[in-house]
Amino acid sequence: MIVRWLNKLEETIFCALLVAMVFLVCVEVFYRFVLAQGISWAQEGSLYLSGWFVLFGVSWGVKHGAHIGVDVLVKKLPRGGRRIVTLIALAVCLTYCTLILVGSYQYLQLTHMIGIELQDIPIPKWQATLILPVGMALLILRFLELGWRVIKGDTDSFGFSDEGQESMRLAEQRDPEDYDKEGRP
Amino acid sequence: MTIATLFILLFLAIFLGMPIAFALGFSSVTTILLFSNDSLGSIAIKLFEAVSHHYTLLAIPFFILSSAFLSTGGVARRLINFATDVVGHVKGGLAMASVMACMLFAAVSGSSPATVAAIGSITIAGMVRQGYPQSYAAGAIANAGTLGILIPPSIVMLVYSAATEVSAAKMFMAGLIPGLLMGGILMVAIYVSARYMKLPAQPFPGFGQLFRSGGKALAGLLLILLVLGTIYGGVASPTEAAAIAAIYAWLVAVVGYRDMGPLKDDPWKRPGESLGGALARSLWQVPLAIVGSFTNREVRGVVLDGAKVSMMLLFIIANAMLFAHVLTTERIPHHIAEVIVSWGLPAWGFLIVVNLLLLAAGNFMEPSAILLIMAPILFPIAMQLGIDPIHLGIIMVVNMEIGMLTPPVGLNLFVTAGITGRSIGWVIKACLPWLCLLLGFLILITYVPAISLWLPNLLS
Repeated sequence: MIVRWLNKLEETIFCALLVAMVFLVCVEVFYRFVLAQGISWAQEGSLYLSGWFVLFGVSWGVKHGAHIGVDVLVKKLPRGGRRIVTLIALAVCLTYCTLILVGSYQYLQLTHMIGIELQDIPIPKWQATLILPVGMALLILRFLELGWRVIKGDTDSFGFSDEGQESMRLAEQRDPEDYDKEGRP
Repeated sequence: MTIATLFILLFLAIFLGMPIAFALGFSSVTTILLFSNDSLGSIAIKLFEAVSHHYTLLAIPFFILSSAFLSTGGVARRLINFATDVVGHVKGGLAMASVMACMLFAAVSGSSPATVAAIGSITIAGMVRQGYPQSYAAGAIANAGTLGILIPPSIVMLVYSAATEVSAAKMFMAGLIPGLLMGGILMVAIYVSARYMKLPAQPFPGFGQLFRSGGKALAGLLLILLVLGTIYGGVASPTEAAAIAAIYAWLVAVVGYRDMGPLKDDPWKRPGESLGGALARSLWQVPLAIVGSFTNREVRGVVLDGAKVSMMLLFIIANAMLFAHVLTTERIPHHIAEVIVSWGLPAWGFLIVVNLLLLAAGNFMEPSAILLIMAPILFPIAMQLGIDPIHLGIIMVVNMEIGMLTPPVGLNLFVTAGITGRSIGWVIKACLPWLCLLLGFLILITYVPAISLWLPNLLS
């Protein structure tokens, strides 16, 4: 129950970030052209929203199989081999996330010490960059969770998104019988 | 040594089945740590800056969002009706109309497989009913569907400009003529073969019908004009045009077409309602629907879809920027360029190599990923050989189109097989004659730069 609620919250947060970005950019254009006066912080604001949007969302993508990858070779392996290869790949992903996590911690510590702020918005830079370690930590959690599912045998791969499969949804809404003689739908 | 480490790690990681983003990131970070003095902190911040310091990149999520709103069966149906009324009365008209509908839908949606699914599932069955061979219909649609990434606004082009810092506005303008040209080539081929195969024509529906269906399709088509108009009218940058397009697409889908959202299936004018009554109803219904769509399940689903695709693509781009950073600091493309120049390979020879390389890569990877890996390598070399950056971009995009039609990963093949219920082998055979046209077109684009460059040069 709580897990489902958290999941929903996660989706709501990054969708809201995207929508906020769209509106912020549009409002800025409106201000500049209709009121002849731009919003000075709009560009930086939308850029940081984008950073938060992406880094917050990637971990959700791991859970929901939204990432893009090449699984032609992995698919050819027998199930046992596929699980081992996936576990190795997960270990490499975890290494990468840990490296970035450590790096972002070093960077944040440095900016915190110097105490610089963003260019146009009076927010300390380390707070605006906080999503980087948070996002990486979330990624590590999701990869560990996926690894546990692979060990248990619930799944044996990352489950990549398939644009072709997703497009089929557009086709499935119709059946070929609803055309008239001229071939019009 | 550095080059070898970078590429071996990258391909190893990709073939282990790691997501492309992490494969790019991991190989780059490892190479930096092994061969340079950059600290982990500076790498981490580069990753963050990649998604938060490039204003043009924001155009990508915005266009993805706007296409998510307009990639619906309802929009496809309106465009097909309009295209059928325009060219249906010519010999082979239904096939030509399908190609035209594909071009229009592709421009609005920006996705090739989505175009094939949405347009093909309606028109292939319609053509078969009219006596067209199914393989003919399927091949034409699968090919016309690839135009989605060539006709602006195109996400693949935005990815190219992100990877090479070429102006996205110029890329859009450069894609327009090649896109229309390819559509024209397909239509001429259909007309010629239709005469030869004695394929049927539709009766002309009359101008009244044409204007009615045109009016219905207009709201969707205006999106293209809105984007190109605001960019070239100097009102907005591509990013801002994309944000406006996203809002416009949302309003068209929820209020105009009512394909989704609170007003779904409630027409502007109910049967038997007076004009004044309908207007009065709209007066309170429309603002209510705009507010209501924030909590509407369908609308939220569309936003979630758009957000999902955008996040994944932007994260790949962020990691690809790390990768490009390694390439440039190690001067890898520079070294390759020197070798190539010392061989005395001319520009046209290099372009053949580019085409072969991209066609091969297109067989097993997704267009945006290929561009992000290949563009930083090929771009500096092409610059040294005096090839125009925009021309190179269009060549790469046309190559990606062909990759959509070649096994094992050609997405359009799978979608076409799905909507016709045939095997992949059958679809490949059906596409083959059309694929030859596309290959001929690639040669034309590669060796006649003016097709791509004339319009952007005219406007700048």
